[in-house]
Amino acid sequence: MRDTTWIGRDLPRPDAADKVAGRAAYIHDLSRPGMLWGKVKFSEHASARIVHIDTSRARRLPGVRAVITGDDTPEIRIGFLRDNVALKRGRVRQQRDEIAAVAAIDPDVAAEAIELIRVEYEPLPAVFDPEQALHPDAPLVHDRDASGRPVTSNLLPVSVRHVSGDLAAGERAARYVAEGEFSTPLIQQSCLGTAGCIAEFDLRGNLTLWAKTQIPFLAQRDFVKALEAMGLEGRNARVIVPALGGAFGTGLDTHCYEYIAMLLAHRTGRPVKMLYTREEEFAFLSPRQSARTRIVQGCDAEGRLTFRRIDVLQDNGAYTSWGATYPTVMLIPATSLYKVANVWFDARIVYTNNTYAQAMRGYGNPEVTWPIERTLDDLARQAGIDPLELRLRNVNEPGETTPMGLEVTTCGLRECFDFAREKLDWAKKRGQQRGARRGVGVAALVHVGGSGRIYRSDGGGVILKLDDFGNVNVSYGGVEMGQGLHAALTSAVAEALGVTPERVHVNPTDTATCPWDVGTHASRGAFIACNAAIRAAAKARTKLFALAAELFAPEVARNLEAHQRRNPGYEPPNFDVGAACAAGRFQLASGVVTLEGAPAEPWLRLELARLLRAGHFRGVAGQMIVEEAFYEPPSTLPDWSEGVGNMSACYAYGVQGFEVEVDDETGEVTILHAVSAHDVGRVLHPQALRGQVQGGLAQGIGYALYEEVRTHEGRVLNPSFTDYKIPTAHELAFPVDVHFVETDDPAGPFGAKGVGEPGLVPTAPALASAIEDAVGVRIADLPMTQEKIVRALREQRAPRGS
Amino acid sequence: MSEEVRMPASPEYHRPRSLEEAWRLLEAQPDARLVAGGTDVLVRLREGRYHPPALVSLRRVESLRRIEPGRAWTIGAGVSVAELLEHRELAAVFPVLVEAGRRLGSAQIRSAATVGGNLCNASPCADLAPPLLVLEARALIASAAGEREVPLSEFFLGPRRTALGPGELLSALRVEAPPAGARATFLKQGRVRMDIALASVAVRLELEGARCVEARVAAGSLAPTPTRLGEVEASLAGTELDEATLARARAAAEREVRPITDVRASADYRRHLAGALVVRAVRALTRPEAR
Ligand SMILES: Cc1cc2nc3c(=O)[nH]c(=O)nc-3n(C[C@H](O)[C@H](O)[C@H](O)COP(=O)(O)OP(=O)(O)OC[C@H]3O[C@@H](n4cnc5c(N)ncnc54)[C@H](O)[C@@H]3O)c2cc1C
Repeated sequence: MRDTTWIGRDLPRPDAADKVAGRAAYIHDLSRPGMLWGKVKFSEHASARIVHIDTSRARRLPGVRAVITGDDTPEIRIGFLRDNVALKRGRVRQQRDEIAAVAAIDPDVAAEAIELIRVEYEPLPAVFDPEQALHPDAPLVHDRDASGRPVTSNLLPVSVRHVSGDLAAGERAARYVAEGEFSTPLIQQSCLGTAGCIAEFDLRGNLTLWAKTQIPFLAQRDFVKALEAMGLEGRNARVIVPALGGAFGTGLDTHCYEYIAMLLAHRTGRPVKMLYTREEEFAFLSPRQSARTRIVQGCDAEGRLTFRRIDVLQDNGAYTSWGATYPTVMLIPATSLYKVANVWFDARIVYTNNTYAQAMRGYGNPEVTWPIERTLDDLARQAGIDPLELRLRNVNEPGETTPMGLEVTTCGLRECFDFAREKLDWAKKRGQQRGARRGVGVAALVHVGGSGRIYRSDGGGVILKLDDFGNVNVSYGGVEMGQGLHAALTSAVAEALGVTPERVHVNPTDTATCPWDVGTHASRGAFIACNAAIRAAAKARTKLFALAAELFAPEVARNLEAHQRRNPGYEPPNFDVGAACAAGRFQLASGVVTLEGAPAEPWLRLELARLLRAGHFRGVAGQMIVEEAFYEPPSTLPDWSEGVGNMSACYAYGVQGFEVEVDDETGEVTILHAVSAHDVGRVLHPQALRGQVQGGLAQGIGYALYEEVRTHEGRVLNPSFTDYKIPTAHELAFPVDVHFVETDDPAGPFGAKGVGEPGLVPTAPALASAIEDAVGVRIADLPMTQEKIVRALREQRAPRGS
Repeated sequence: MSEEVRMPASPEYHRPRSLEEAWRLLEAQPDARLVAGGTDVLVRLREGRYHPPALVSLRRVESLRRIEPGRAWTIGAGVSVAELLEHRELAAVFPVLVEAGRRLGSAQIRSAATVGGNLCNASPCADLAPPLLVLEARALIASAAGEREVPLSEFFLGPRRTALGPGELLSALRVEAPPAGARATFLKQGRVRMDIALASVAVRLELEGARCVEARVAAGSLAPTPTRLGEVEASLAGTELDEATLARARAAAEREVRPITDVRASADYRRHLAGALVVRAVRALTRPEAR
């Protein structure tokens, strides 16, 4: 591994102080001169015809500046399949459909105006269960697709399949077979900062949108299309990303509220701000997809996997987000978590009248890792092999090409297991603590570590702009949303360019100033940004050293004069500066240019700032150093109908393990100890990395034990933290052993892999395994609530049928 | 001509300094809503559950904030949960109130929330209610017409309904210091630690040697109001609290409670918790170190 100065060091996070002091400006803090407040009237039915909308009273409320509906605004189609429109016309398909909107002088007036809007509905048949939605008699959520063609089923035209090897042969070769049905619930991303935006037009019809987005450039494309629909062809949409209080996938799509803000801003000629309250966020922002999975997998007598079959049914809700591409990522664990030949994977995504769902951290991976890891425990039991040992017998290794065609360049999974085994005291504890209702469990993960190609470009660019003072302003089109991207990028620029981190300033993300980037998803932010930064820095160094070839010798000659004035009688050592410059033997480190092999004389060095000024102020020859590099990772866009393709430049692995104690009266699970070991390629910024792992763990624990958006006929029943429970400090008060395995991946910047998502992927199955070890109960449907544990314990005690 | 549309008026906000002033305000505006810590009122206002013409804050009424020791202690309705927890002497006499107070909300909520608000809110899950019920606290109800006292068990009439009449407010609680042989505990189960109770119980036992001479058991979130569980008490009293008795108490608790199913938990699970918590509480109180 390369020796580094800044990489791997715990530098202060550049965003930390302002965030802690409350100075960082989130969308909630932003205001524009003359700004109005927008608010949306949502549907009260999950499926109905809109008979009439009466906005007359709302219009008459003093302070209201505009009231709009789908009938008096242009139709703006949005979404992955363009099956959603910003303001609904004539028909609602989910409880949260946008029916009308207002702009008013303050949020209270806007809220009151919404109360004054009356809507008359004619209820229509609805379907809420994805299985039932597939029934031939089920009401169609959409009877036409986006281009107006009639459709005959609620099945989405998004098919991701994979068949490799010979499933029948794999089944024959299996000595033990485990199968089951598992499910994962709708959950809320629970961002600290709720959703919102400000839309503002200039008088030429160009739009600026301050957006809580993870995809500024794909959003720009969507917004430009919307401008066209509004009759504003050829106008620009500029997207600016303020400080974000978490996104976790909520920013991977553009949202109706953003288009509604645009429509209101255009209608009123004033900037319009929309902000969801917490309750609105729960009820009207898309949660994580729920999924049902059927799995069968088998192993031979030695515990080696011989086949795996997975069928997924995913509830899309009424419209389609990028979350419909979950199965592309589900393929990764399905085909490539542990070595398994003979794999079948099929995913069906179904329209229902439930709230439409969107992606979240892990992107389909936890949904599939859950059944895979749970049934591995079954296989271990049947085969009489220790479950950790069984996993090691199938462990992924470098050099492997998986059934999906993933090329495993580096893989530290075995080391992760070794760490977990040791820290959990596995040999002593697994299966040994039933009397104390304590147990241990582990589970593993594989995820994209070198971005994930699901779009025709998976790249991103970085611009480095050096100024007269030696500052390096960095522009990258991806998004800091709290994960520590700017920390990693700062370290990478300092390292690659040869400056001190204090001189590196990462600019706010703005489509007007930053180069294109596909978006901050697939754990790709630091991987892409740092790779691009390394390339841009190399270009900048080339230019700087070319300047130095001309300017270094005369500048240090002046240094020498000054030095001699201060130190009369000083004789410089015998070193031919001119020859060294001519040979281009320049070095740049910590913002100082020196010559390789030169004696360490104080005058024989040039501050970067001075070199830059010397390059600038030289008459007609003056020049600036601004360098750009676009990095496109070496991966391929898979063929989804075959489910094959090396979608990432490298892959991240990890193991989580838990020791728990289960209260067999109340069902309460207390975590006593956690282990989270990850193959991260290389640690770029330890603090940010630990934050990602610990935060992922906390979110994974919520997913495993507590969280579920409960709905009845499509209406959210628990739209607040009163009844949507996430773990708090009390639930998380246990020691965590975090460990990083550095495998130094050749594709990674300084060897690093992406690490944003892995932290929550194996959490639920690892906990489930520990709970089963403690009290013997198995729960297939997340979350594993106390109530479900008590029910399972009772069933375990009472003989069936009694 | 179309009718004028206007923003609804915000409630007037009053901050009386004495009970007399509060009563005058209540008389002038009978639909005014009293506010103590506001931790319930503000939530419900924001949810649009009610639109009172006026809010009458009790925070400046000093007489509501007293804690007076005695054979029977007086705890003012305006005492905050945090103040309750900080009162050393009170904590020594009524440790069960401390147990319950500690489980009420977060530190921020406890500094605002008051004892009176917790009870007058008349939520079945009010955490201070079960311990005060087993302590057989009496509610001091005051109005311009005078003062009356009702047992707390008669104070709760239904969800969000109390024995308070028009112009009346809760001024204090009167709680007798328990006799030497009595001990009490409070147990609460939430989905996570900081949660509204799915079920809670307070149990107070008076023991003579191994024999239980008196048992008082109260439950929260297990019926339309916080309530005493008479059958459970009967199953425990006069026994040696052996395993068979505990099994009977568990069964009695499961029988006697009337929980509902909601988004938080099923009635079935709550019923199970009732039994489990009663048994656990009795065990805790009879463990050798508890004696
Ligand atoms: C985040 C959060 C968490 C919470 N967690 C818990 C919990 O764990 N356990 C729990 O029990 N509660 C909990 N609560 C509810 C609430 O905090 C408590 O019930 C609290 O004790 C209420 O007291 P208050 O002074 O804030 O009441 P207020 O909100 O001021 O008043 C509540 C009601 O009582 C009336 N009232 C107040 N004082 C008097 C009086 N002296 N005479 C007549 N009527 C009066 C008011 O008019 C109102 O109807 C929680 C609330 C929040 C917001």
